[in-house]
Amino acid sequence: MQNNHHSGHPNSTAMNMREKEKYIENFNFPFCEEASKYQKVAKIGQGTFGEVFKARDINNPKKYVAMKKVLMDNEKEGFPITALREIRILQLLKHDNVVNLIEICRTKASAANRYRSTFYLVFDFCEHDLAGLLSNVNVKFSLGEIKKVLQQLLNGLFYIHYNKILHRDMKAANVLITKLGVLKLADFGLARAFSTNKNGMPNRFTNRVVTLWYRPPELLLGERNYGPPVDLWGAGCIMAEMWTRSPIMQGNSEQQQLTLISQLCGSINPQSWPGVEHLELYKKMELPQEQKRKVKERLKPYMKDPYAIDLLDKLLVLDPSKRADADTALNHDFFWTDPMPCELGKMLANHSQSMFEFLAPARRATQINRHHAIPRPTTSAVQDSGYQDRVF
Amino acid sequence: MPGWYFDKQELKHTPSGAAGLDYKTEMRYRKEGARFIIDTGMKMDLGYNTTATGVVYYHRFYMFHSFQQFPRFVTACCCLFLAGKVEETPKKCKDIIKIAKALLADNKFATFGSDPKEEVMTLERVLLQTIKFDLQVEHPYLYLLRYAKCLKGDKAKLQKMVQMAWTFVNDSLCTTLSLQWQPEIIAVALMYLAGKLSKFEVVDWVGRNPAHLRWWDMFVEDVTMDLLEDICHQVLDLYSQPEVKSSSESPPPGASRPAAASPSNQSTSRQSNGATTSTTASSASTASSTSEKTQISPETVPPPVNTRIPPPSDVPYPYQTFTHAPPPISYGTPVSFAPPVNTPPPLLGPSPIPSLLSAPPPNAFPPFVNQPPPFTPVVPPPNASFFGNGLPQGHTRHRPPFFPP
Repeated sequence: MQNNHHSGHPNSTAMNMREKEKYIENFNFPFCEEASKYQKVAKIGQGTFGEVFKARDINNPKKYVAMKKVLMDNEKEGFPITALREIRILQLLKHDNVVNLIEICRTKASAANRYRSTFYLVFDFCEHDLAGLLSNVNVKFSLGEIKKVLQQLLNGLFYIHYNKILHRDMKAANVLITKLGVLKLADFGLARAFSTNKNGMPNRFTNRVVTLWYRPPELLLGERNYGPPVDLWGAGCIMAEMWTRSPIMQGNSEQQQLTLISQLCGSINPQSWPGVEHLELYKKMELPQEQKRKVKERLKPYMKDPYAIDLLDKLLVLDPSKRADADTALNHDFFWTDPMPCELGKMLANHSQSMFEFLAPARRATQINRHHAIPRPTTSAVQDSGYQDRVF
Repeated sequence: MPGWYFDKQELKHTPSGAAGLDYKTEMRYRKEGARFIIDTGMKMDLGYNTTATGVVYYHRFYMFHSFQQFPRFVTACCCLFLAGKVEETPKKCKDIIKIAKALLADNKFATFGSDPKEEVMTLERVLLQTIKFDLQVEHPYLYLLRYAKCLKGDKAKLQKMVQMAWTFVNDSLCTTLSLQWQPEIIAVALMYLAGKLSKFEVVDWVGRNPAHLRWWDMFVEDVTMDLLEDICHQVLDLYSQPEVKSSSESPPPGASRPAAASPSNQSTSRQSNGATTSTTASSASTASSTSEKTQISPETVPPPVNTRIPPPSDVPYPYQTFTHAPPPISYGTPVSFAPPVNTPPPLLGPSPIPSLLSAPPPNAFPPFVNQPPPFTPVVPPPNASFFGNGLPQGHTRHRPPFFPP
C-alpha cells in the first residue's frame, strides 16, 4: 500500500538532508524570482538591516532598482522579525510618496551558500536622498521647491499614519527623491503598526527608535505609548534642515539632545507640557529650566518666509498632543500662499549625478559644519538591536 | 497572481497527490498538521490569530510541495514559528520544538532529524519563498465579531451563537476552507450554521435595508445557500470523519474505520455535494444523510476536532465572557443521541463533557473532547423556517462565480 511507508516509518519518507538540499536547489519557486535577474551597479547605502545596491534589470536595461539585502548572518531566530515587519508594511503601503517594493528576490540555494538563499527587497530606484541633496551646495532649492518637498513629505506621512503605521526613523537620509522630483519615504525597517488604544491599555512600544538628532522629546523621556507625533517631530527637523542644510540639533547623547531641544523649544516642564512629569525618565534626565522658546528667533535668519516659520513652530512643539498632525500641517497657509509648491524636476535635471548621503559624508562634514565633523548617528535601535529586548 | 484560492479540483491535484498520496490521507495530514499547530500554539499561549496564520501558511505550503517531501510536523512548527514573528508574538524556535517534542510520539518527532532547530530554520526560507512573502493573512474571527455586532436579538442567544461559530471557525482551520473561500464568507457560513444549531433566528440587524434578503447580504455578495451549506458541511464532516485519537497517532492506512460509522459512500457523496445544483435534490439528499448520520451511535463516532481558541478578552460585551467558558445555558434535560433533526448540538456521551452548551469549569477546555456533538446537518427544520418569511424552502439559486474575475 502506498500509504504504508508514509505513516509507519517517517524516516523513509522524509527526504534525507542531501535529497532535501537537492530539492531546494532545483525547486523553481514560482513567486520568488532569482536575484540574478538584476545586475549590481554600485553600493549606495547601508539600510537598517543590510546593504543597499543599485542594480539594473537585465531584461530591461533601462530599468534600475535598489536592492536591499536582508542580513541574516547573526540571526539566531531565522528570518529577522524587523525584515518581516518591513515587508508586511511595504506590501500594505502603496502611495506615490512611499517607496515602492517591487518584489523580493533570492539567490539560488546551493552548496556554496550552504543551501541558504540570501534575500533582497527590490525597490524602484530613486536617484537622490534628501540628505545627499542638502549636503551639495550646488543644489539650490527655491521656496516653491522647498514647499513641494515638504508637501510630499507630509502627504506621505498622512498616508502612512492613516494606515496606522509609524515610520519611526524620519531623517533626511530616509527621504528619497527621484530625478523627476517625486519624494518617497523610505526605510521602513523600524516602522510598526500602531493602534489608538482601544481598551484603555496603553501601548508599550520601544522608545529606542529614531536617529538621535531627529528623536522627539517624548521618546527621549522614555514614553512608550507614543504615536504619529513622533514622525512629525522628525518632519519639523527636516523642514528646518531644508534651509539650514544641516541637521538643526546634533546631540551626541540623549542627555545632550534634550538640552539642545530645551534650548531651542523652551524648557520642558509641566507648564509647557502637562503630564510630562509622569514620563519614566522625567526625573532622571537633566532638563534645563528658564529656557525661552526660540524656534522663530533662531531660524528666522535662515527661513525668511513667515508662513514657513509659523509652520515649523507648530511642528517643533514639545507636547506631542499639541504638535500639528500631517493633515493640519498640509492645510497650513505655507502650502497655499505664493509662491505655490512647484515641481522639482527641472531643478534636478541640472544634476545628473546621484546624490546619496552614503556617498557624500566627507563633503558634508567639511562643507557645512566646521565644528560638526562628527559622523551622523544612525538609528540606535538598529545598532544595539534595541527591538530584541522587546521581542524575545 | 497568485490567488491563494483554489477550486475543489485543484485541491485534489496537489503535489502530494501527484506523488501518490491519496486524497483522504492528504486531508488527514492537513488536519493533523493544523491541529498540531493549534495545540502547540495553545500550549505556548499564542493568540488565535497567530495560530490561524500559521495554519493558513501550512495549507498554502502543501499546495506547492508534497507531504512526502516535507514531513508535516516540521512544516507545522515552521509555520507557527514564522506566524509568531509576523503577528508580533514571536516565540523562540527551540521553545516551539520543545513543545513539539512533548506533543508528538517519538516516531513523529524523529522526522525532525538530528538537529531539529536547523531543520526548522532551513525550512523557513523555503516556506517564505513558497508563500510569496504574503505574510498578512486575514481570518474569519474578525468578521465573525464584526458581523455579530450588527445582529439584533436576544443577547444570550446571540452570545451562544457567536461562541459556537467561533468554535466552528477554530475547527475550520483543520479543513482546506481557507484555501477555498475568503474569511468573510467562511464567517458568514459558520455563523449561519451556528445560528441554525443554536436556534438563533436573525430577524433584524443594524443597517438593514430593503434590498437585503438575509443579514449577510449586507456584507458579502452573491453567497448562495448552496455555497453556505457546502462550507458548513466541510466543517461538519470533520466531526464525522474517523479520527485517530489526537494527533499523536496515525492509523495505518486502511485501518478499519469504526464498523458502524458512516459508510464511506456516504462521505463520498458528501464530497461531491458542492456540485449539487438543484436545491430540492440537495436538501433531499442531505435530509436522507441526516437520518443516517443521526443514527450513528456515540461509540462509533470518532472524536471531533473541537479545538478551542478562546475569543479575545478585549472584545466588549457581549463577547468578553467568552474568554474561557460560555455561561451556563440550561437546555433542560440533556438530549440523548439520535436527536431530532433540528436539535442543537446536545451533550453526548457518558460523562459530562464540556461542550458548547454546557459550562465547563473555567480554564478547563480540553483541546479535544472525547465525543462529538452530533451536529445536525444544515437543513431547515421540518416545521419551522429558520428565516421566517425570508427564504422559501425550495429557493433555488445557481451559484454564480462568486468573485467576478
